[in-house]
Amino acid sequence: MSNQGGVQYSKIAEIKGPLVIVDGVDNAAFDELVEIETTEGEKRLGKVLEVGNGKAVVQVFEGTTGLSVSGTNAKFVGKVMEMPVSEQVLGRVFDGLGRAKDGLPEPVADSFLDINGAPMNPEQREYPKDFIQTGVSVIDGMLTLVRGQKLPIFSGSGMSHNILAAQIARQAAIIGTDDSFAVVFAAIGVQYSEAEYFKRSLEESGALKRSVLFLNLADDPAIERIITPRVALTVAEYLAYDLGMHVLVILTDMTNYAEALREISAAREEVPGRKGYPGYLYTDLSTIYERAGRLKGKKGSVTQVPILTMPSDDITHPIPDLTGYITEGQLVLGRDLFRQGVYPPINILMSLSRIMKDGIGEGSTRADHQEISNQNYDAYSRAQEVRALAGIVGKAGLTPVDLNYMNFGDEFEKKFLSQAIDEDRTIEETLGLQWNCVSKLPKNELTKVKDKYVEQYYKE
Amino acid sequence: MSSNSGLESTIDQVLERNSSEFSQSLKNSLTDAQKTLSDSLPMLEEEYEKIISDGKKEADKIEKQIVGSADLQARNKALLIVQESADKVLEKAKEKISNMDRNSEYSSLITKLLTEATSALDTSDVIVFTNSKDKDVVQSAVSNISGAELSNDLIDCMGGVKVTSKDGSMSFDNTIDARIELLKPLIRKDIAAQFNLGN
Amino acid sequence: MVAQGKIVWISGPAVKADGMADAKMYETVSVGESKLIGEVIRLTGDVAFIQVYESTSGLKPGEPVVGTGNPLSVFLGPGIIGQIYDGIQRPLKDLAAKSGSFIGRGITTTPVDMTKEYHFSPTVAVGDEVEAGNIIGIVPESSLIEHKILVPPDHKGGKITKIVSEGDYNLDVEIATVEKDGESSPLMMWHKWPVRQPRPYLKRYDPTVPLLTGQRVIDTFFPLAKGGTGSIPGAFGTGKTVTLHQIAKWADSQVVVYIGCGERGNEMTEVLVEFPELKDPRTGKPLMDRTVLVANTSNMPVAAREASIYTGVTIAEYYRDMGYDVVLVADSTSRWAEALREMSGRLEEMPAEEGYPSYLASRLAEFYERAGRVQAKGSPERDGSVSLVGAVSPSGGDFTEPVTTHTMRFIKTFWALDASLAYSRHYPSINWMNSYSGYLADIAKWWSENISKDWLDIRSQTYGILQREDTLKEIVKLLGPEALPDEEKLILEVARMVKIGILQQNSFDDVDTYCSPEKQFKLMKLQVDFYNKGQQALKDGASLADIRSMNVISLLLKARMDVKDDEMDKLDKIGNDMEEQFKSVTGVKVQN
Repeated sequence: MSNQGGVQYSKIAEIKGPLVIVDGVDNAAFDELVEIETTEGEKRLGKVLEVGNGKAVVQVFEGTTGLSVSGTNAKFVGKVMEMPVSEQVLGRVFDGLGRAKDGLPEPVADSFLDINGAPMNPEQREYPKDFIQTGVSVIDGMLTLVRGQKLPIFSGSGMSHNILAAQIARQAAIIGTDDSFAVVFAAIGVQYSEAEYFKRSLEESGALKRSVLFLNLADDPAIERIITPRVALTVAEYLAYDLGMHVLVILTDMTNYAEALREISAAREEVPGRKGYPGYLYTDLSTIYERAGRLKGKKGSVTQVPILTMPSDDITHPIPDLTGYITEGQLVLGRDLFRQGVYPPINILMSLSRIMKDGIGEGSTRADHQEISNQNYDAYSRAQEVRALAGIVGKAGLTPVDLNYMNFGDEFEKKFLSQAIDEDRTIEETLGLQWNCVSKLPKNELTKVKDKYVEQYYKE
Repeated sequence: MSSNSGLESTIDQVLERNSSEFSQSLKNSLTDAQKTLSDSLPMLEEEYEKIISDGKKEADKIEKQIVGSADLQARNKALLIVQESADKVLEKAKEKISNMDRNSEYSSLITKLLTEATSALDTSDVIVFTNSKDKDVVQSAVSNISGAELSNDLIDCMGGVKVTSKDGSMSFDNTIDARIELLKPLIRKDIAAQFNLGN
Repeated sequence: MVAQGKIVWISGPAVKADGMADAKMYETVSVGESKLIGEVIRLTGDVAFIQVYESTSGLKPGEPVVGTGNPLSVFLGPGIIGQIYDGIQRPLKDLAAKSGSFIGRGITTTPVDMTKEYHFSPTVAVGDEVEAGNIIGIVPESSLIEHKILVPPDHKGGKITKIVSEGDYNLDVEIATVEKDGESSPLMMWHKWPVRQPRPYLKRYDPTVPLLTGQRVIDTFFPLAKGGTGSIPGAFGTGKTVTLHQIAKWADSQVVVYIGCGERGNEMTEVLVEFPELKDPRTGKPLMDRTVLVANTSNMPVAAREASIYTGVTIAEYYRDMGYDVVLVADSTSRWAEALREMSGRLEEMPAEEGYPSYLASRLAEFYERAGRVQAKGSPERDGSVSLVGAVSPSGGDFTEPVTTHTMRFIKTFWALDASLAYSRHYPSINWMNSYSGYLADIAKWWSENISKDWLDIRSQTYGILQREDTLKEIVKLLGPEALPDEEKLILEVARMVKIGILQQNSFDDVDTYCSPEKQFKLMKLQVDFYNKGQQALKDGASLADIRSMNVISLLLKARMDVKDDEMDKLDKIGNDMEEQFKSVTGVKVQN
């Protein structure tokens, strides 16, 4: 876009919800950044959603509260929304639109980047295959996170997702390299205490100086949430592909994002898809999640751990559903495990890391990793069936093998799955614990692992 | 904050020393009426660089003073100083511009700014606003545009014009203040580079 | 007269332009100063409604729109195999060369390298009469594909007045001249074809030959025929993509067109990394040498996603017309339907269910109708086929949503993926009770003639065991397994063995990833034998515990991974062991 912008229009035809419809506009571009000036001289930002026939539909990020049809001016800036980036963004705290929030001046920009990014050329992607050790056994052992992956946490209200995400952010490390590492944290409509917990957690671990925080809190404008993940990812991409860092991006909570999107869609009177969410929710979410990855010829990577709370713990709700179709797996927190006080309460049967197979095994973790993990899945699934059966026929009705599986289930949840918030386990410890679990079963039940591994690792 | 007042006096001294040269280059930059102000400001920035190279010594000192504190704090402090220097430099520059002679070069600049504004608004049926100093210059420029009128209401700015369509539905701010605002991030970047804070 | 209009309105990928009275429906147009590619999808008076295949960010009303006079078409000629295209046939490699790691806008490319030379051998001579669809020469395209140069299907034919001799030519060379009614026309090694128009053929056959995929649950239980249609719906995490990749890897077709339609970028990367490494089990050549990829990932412009399906199927039909069996895999048709919905919404059309346009069903029908086994136009006489496999991503895993229900009306094989199977790591998670194949009767003859005359009978027995188990499970849920008599417990036992030993298949295991038809049949036969012998042994007084403790069971379960396709004698040996062990369990009982 050229610098032809700058014209300010004062004929406001309509204000509805987060939208301002400006009349008599003949020089505005689709997606253009707009500065709205209130009667009191307060400035708010927005962007053009639709333009033509003399009208421009402008979405106001900071909300339309207090705006009036007369006295409101809209200046079309002549460019799309941009985020100033440089190495100096590290250690800084920004608001949900990417403006300094820590009392310091705006960072001096090295360049200004379109916050929408551009789609990565699939042909230019490097397939993710580097193991990230999170120190959390259930993730490293059975749901391995890989550099450049997007692996969301599906949680429910009140569960320990933010604690888990903070633990991952503190402990995540790539074994055997000294590449530089960064964390980009985007709080999207979360409570102050949660954002503060995260910040303190980074501070205490000395990671704050390699972190960038974007905070749109629960009482910040809702429409701003459309922008927050985008500015965060713009910074992440810059750190990864221009500065060669490995960036872990945590986006919490994407449910709030989707709700902001729904609000705009409703104001535009669009035909809704499921549960009132717009039909383009999938495409829109993909423009966020697909910004994870690695690129040929570039050193850095963007790994995403988006967090979302499933309304009523319902995994078929459009937000987790469409997210799951885009992301490379999901970590699902289980309400039952959470109630039992298990941390992290990950329901492994509903969870999955799609690209785990490429990040583990000989030369990366250990040759038996995939097989022992499969065996634990298989056994845990069987243990759940046996538990259900025991509920009907009682323990007495179980065969000796069934009882072995009950024992396995208990060992698995208590020793392997459960872990302290500050406990950082190595991959060797994790694999050892997995073998401890299956060693509760007779040897001939181990159909998923090669005999040579059974001989080497099975504990009599 | 002795370091800051030190910096301030340094900048003042440097500005004093270079003032004639400085305003000369300002004038030169405005003579080319074909160029918009945004084209001419980079030349101003060359001047800033000279100022800053002196300020840099001060910054080095500050850097030494804060050795021992955390990286982050050091960086943040330096950031504040860059900001202060940038503000200072811009302030001085603005002062120079607002006190500039309203000569013929200046009036071609005004014409240029005016034309730009009417073309952005896509109409010459406009009301033009300016400050008291520029009133005469602007009046003569406005008289060459049919349909344009100069408002009696004055606006607060360093120079330049603000143009509004007669029905009041559109306006275009082409004051020098607005133009400098657009260039601010670039100027800050240059200053920061002098302090080894850029990339 | 090409249309020359001006943009009047923009909303995302939808643009309206006026002054477009000369534009035609589905004409491609250049939009705006940056010359974005678009397609006219509605005309009202002189206003054209245009879907734009690139991001419209920064576009302004008043910018020009210029028609090209041509409908959206694909380039068909040598050089397509091994490529990765976006939804409108732009090679992603070329886009990268021009705009780097991220896809820029307004970039023009040619679908193949026009300057590359191909070795052309003519198969007709001066004076020969040719008609539309005739083969006039051949070009080796890859280690697996011999590219037949065709007279375009809409060509009026005539007499060859000039043809180049065998040799190396680039694609700009006119290789032949045809004359009819005193008018001569040039022939190139390539032609273009509009994507929304099915390519014509001479006649259509019934699908009677199975498309073998090496996947047991597909080939044995819910087969697809060459030229048939199949659909694979499943919630996320049910292994849809892995199953589709398996079909693309191992299907016994000569050409594979894989469309990544609104899906993950990394999945396309995976194909790009894996396929050149993998060898076709029948020829030993790299799989990439028979594959064409069309990748319009979820974050790429939504309108090009709509077009990608048509681009892919037109390429598939082209190779069919050369006489090849082509399988086209589209992942996922739901994302294509969503693209349709988005454009329809912006057109402010009256929505039908869940906001989808009312023409969703007819568009799906048109697409699946492009499958088929046919005799191609022209001589020499040749048959080819296009088999269509479409993934469906039902929202919330709900098979009653519009895309799934409409798709089920137009396809004959339905592989229903089941989240609960996936949660227990049963892969492929194709539910054997909810899936079906309408081709079973048609292709049974092939199995009977090529593998075993008992195939249909053994398959029915195996499936019967699974069906019995399904009913018995209900009783077990209420009363526990001990409520069943031994012969029914044996059914549960064998059903479990069938699930682990046959239905489950590990696509990451070197041996298990592909299973030959012979091995599929033998594995199934062994299980049925086990079941029948087991029931007999129970009658003869053997105990269920004895049968359960037979060590042949673990051999049966691991045979899918332990026995390679060329080691069928090992399966015979397992059969012999089984015989012996049954003898001994009944024998023991008799002695007591």
